[in-house]
Amino acid sequence: MSAEIIILLLAATVQSGTPILYATLGEIVTEKVGILNLGVEGMMMVGALAGFIAALYTGQATLAFLVGGLAGGLLAALHGLVCIGFQGNQVVSGLALTILGTGLADYLGTPFVGQKVTGFSAVPLPLLADIPGLGPVFFNQDPLVYGSYLIVPLLWLFFRNTKWGLRLRSVGEYPEAALAAGVSVHLYRWAGVIGGGFLVGLGGAYLSLAYTHLWTSGMSAGRGWIAVALVIFAFWRPERALIGAYLFGGIMAFQLRLQAMGTHIPSSLLLMLPYGLTVLVLVLSSRKGTRAQSPAALGINIEPAE
Amino acid sequence: MPNTDQVMVRLEAICKNFGPVQANREITLDIKAGTITALLGENGAGKSTLMSILAGQLVPDSGSVYIDGLKVSLTSTRRAIRYGIGMVYQHFKLVEAMTVSENVFLGQESGPLLNRDRMRARVLDLATDAGLAVDPDAKVANLSMGEKQRVEILRLLHRDSRILIFDEPTAVLTPPEVKQLFGALKQLASRGKAIIFISHKLAEVLEIADEIAILRRGSLTDQMPTDMVTSRAELARKMVGREVILQVARQPVEHRQRVLKIEGLSDDVLKDVDLELRQGEILGLVGVAGNGQKRLVEIICGLQRPAGGHISILGKTWTKFFGNTNRDNLLSYIPEDRQGLATCQHLNMLENFLITTRHAFCNGPWLSKQRARPKVSDLITAFDVQPARIAATARQLSGGNLQKLVLAREFFRRPRLIVAEQPTQGLDIGATEEVWNLLLQARERAGILLVTGDLKEALSLADRVVVIFAGKLMDAFAVGDTARVEQIGLLMAGLDPSAGKV
Repeated sequence: MSAEIIILLLAATVQSGTPILYATLGEIVTEKVGILNLGVEGMMMVGALAGFIAALYTGQATLAFLVGGLAGGLLAALHGLVCIGFQGNQVVSGLALTILGTGLADYLGTPFVGQKVTGFSAVPLPLLADIPGLGPVFFNQDPLVYGSYLIVPLLWLFFRNTKWGLRLRSVGEYPEAALAAGVSVHLYRWAGVIGGGFLVGLGGAYLSLAYTHLWTSGMSAGRGWIAVALVIFAFWRPERALIGAYLFGGIMAFQLRLQAMGTHIPSSLLLMLPYGLTVLVLVLSSRKGTRAQSPAALGINIEPAE
Repeated sequence: MPNTDQVMVRLEAICKNFGPVQANREITLDIKAGTITALLGENGAGKSTLMSILAGQLVPDSGSVYIDGLKVSLTSTRRAIRYGIGMVYQHFKLVEAMTVSENVFLGQESGPLLNRDRMRARVLDLATDAGLAVDPDAKVANLSMGEKQRVEILRLLHRDSRILIFDEPTAVLTPPEVKQLFGALKQLASRGKAIIFISHKLAEVLEIADEIAILRRGSLTDQMPTDMVTSRAELARKMVGREVILQVARQPVEHRQRVLKIEGLSDDVLKDVDLELRQGEILGLVGVAGNGQKRLVEIICGLQRPAGGHISILGKTWTKFFGNTNRDNLLSYIPEDRQGLATCQHLNMLENFLITTRHAFCNGPWLSKQRARPKVSDLITAFDVQPARIAATARQLSGGNLQKLVLAREFFRRPRLIVAEQPTQGLDIGATEEVWNLLLQARERAGILLVTGDLKEALSLADRVVVIFAGKLMDAFAVGDTARVEQIGLLMAGLDPSAGKV
């Protein structure tokens, strides 16, 4: 393979890693407050459709992207209602959310199949795009990719260096301690669930607005589940999520290129690659004692006060 | 005594009930600035309830709280914090995964952005000021219990709390740590803070407190300055109380063969424990919670392997006894935690009954619920469990009724050794009396080890009493030995009455 092909492949890696990155960051925010939301796949689908429809009717790509986020947040609010409002089982509610989200998006999206939106396209950044090697890979992308470059350090700073980040983490680690410190546990759990859902929705909207510019049913193709697994791989840290997302983006881009080039390997095996890697990554990262890294109160509902 | 000190907090006629249990009745208490006030009482006397009310964790059924003479309503911890009230709980409320300074600043950050250098400096400042050394950048999970407690105190100081409540602060500390804590408390008091010290340990209360308030069975029974206390024995008597509210008829039962013998049992908690129990006998194991009772019970009941020493249960060694899976009719364990350990919350009475008695209702691999159903119905009637519906789940039963179900189940197995742990804790008087009678009946065919923090219970039921302190059995004597019984309070506090003049 020539250097040019490798650079193309790496650029495709960044692009196909970006929706996974948004979704993984969203799930990290959600899990940091102690809520496990397995509805990522459903929220991505709803975000993708909402973004697509908004783009179709308004022609405003940025607005459409935000609408996708809002749709994700709205669906996440349903999860919040079940888990924070009624102390429902987080696993069951999350699974239901996935089924609801994918089903709803497929149903409502049927009339839009085959239509096209303008969405986002690559905008090379001046100067930076000219750096040999790095430039075409990282800085000849669409604005949403640049946005994800910003969100990672911002989120890192948010968790580490702001009072809201501190409180958010405390609520997922030991709600009783947060309560004793006068932190409103419910408020921060809601904020984490909806804020996380917003980011996941953005990841979905990326698929229909920047990655493909179309709507097809089942377009998230398991990326939501990969994001759930990546949270564990990332040890709940935004900077590690970046690595994980690009790893999976790379595999996805690679298997697509490989199929296009025409190999003797059956395509179904290639399509399996990312999911096989998910299993492998989970096995490897749980060997390193992920339990210690996970928010201590993850998946545990707050009992209502007596 | 001239009352020059300013009253900072006034609790007036505080009442709090948990179901039928009166945790606090009409408690009126003044707490002064610059003073260490000890709240002394047995387990379940209502100390923690009273202080949880002051810390805004519980809302009283009636009564009022005044701070600096103004009536306040403490409906949440946040409000209590705003009024300058801070509590160091027995179970620390710290986020283990965060650093010391993050924990200190949580909820009381100085701005939207965390300035780590400033946070570190502030924690160090507070720490040197109060004489509580701790590394601001250390992760709380890596700290010792003593250091964690210091973090809790620093947190209160950071919030400028003026009223500091300590719930059994020495329970988890080593002796040098206790010394350091006491030094810090005195220093804080000298700076005008009001300190409330909850404890049931006489020695430390006398050492640290300026004022002592005694709670017994939910009422404030006595209050005095420490200088007015003439002897520890007097204090012990006031704390434990001598009146026996309940009377149970106790027919003497012949003591027959030995059911439990422990010799030289030692591990990291227990120290050289020797114990013997015979059929027909109730042996009361009394002591303040956390002195090794739990470990001893877990070993006897097979939940934990003994490290050293020799144990014989019904004539078999520990390994042999617990190696045999069909132990029906032999050992019954009535745990303190009746909701978590004794029953399954979401199973109904029949299923809960079968948890330990299933061997009696098996046909090969099949469990015959049909055969068990009439038995359970009979027992529910006999033990008067309410609601008397087999389909009721454990969580629908009150504590007393759940306990009766557990006892019915365990006695159905006709055990020969019974370990009953706090069997009447949290029960009202009526239920307590029933449980006591059941235990007295059961000793006809069994030896009973009664683990309790309630002296009255031990004295009413047991034939002999052993006192446990810091994993060591302090003394054993018959309940008829009145002179020795008088000293139980002291023994529970770890004092040897034969050694010093009291």
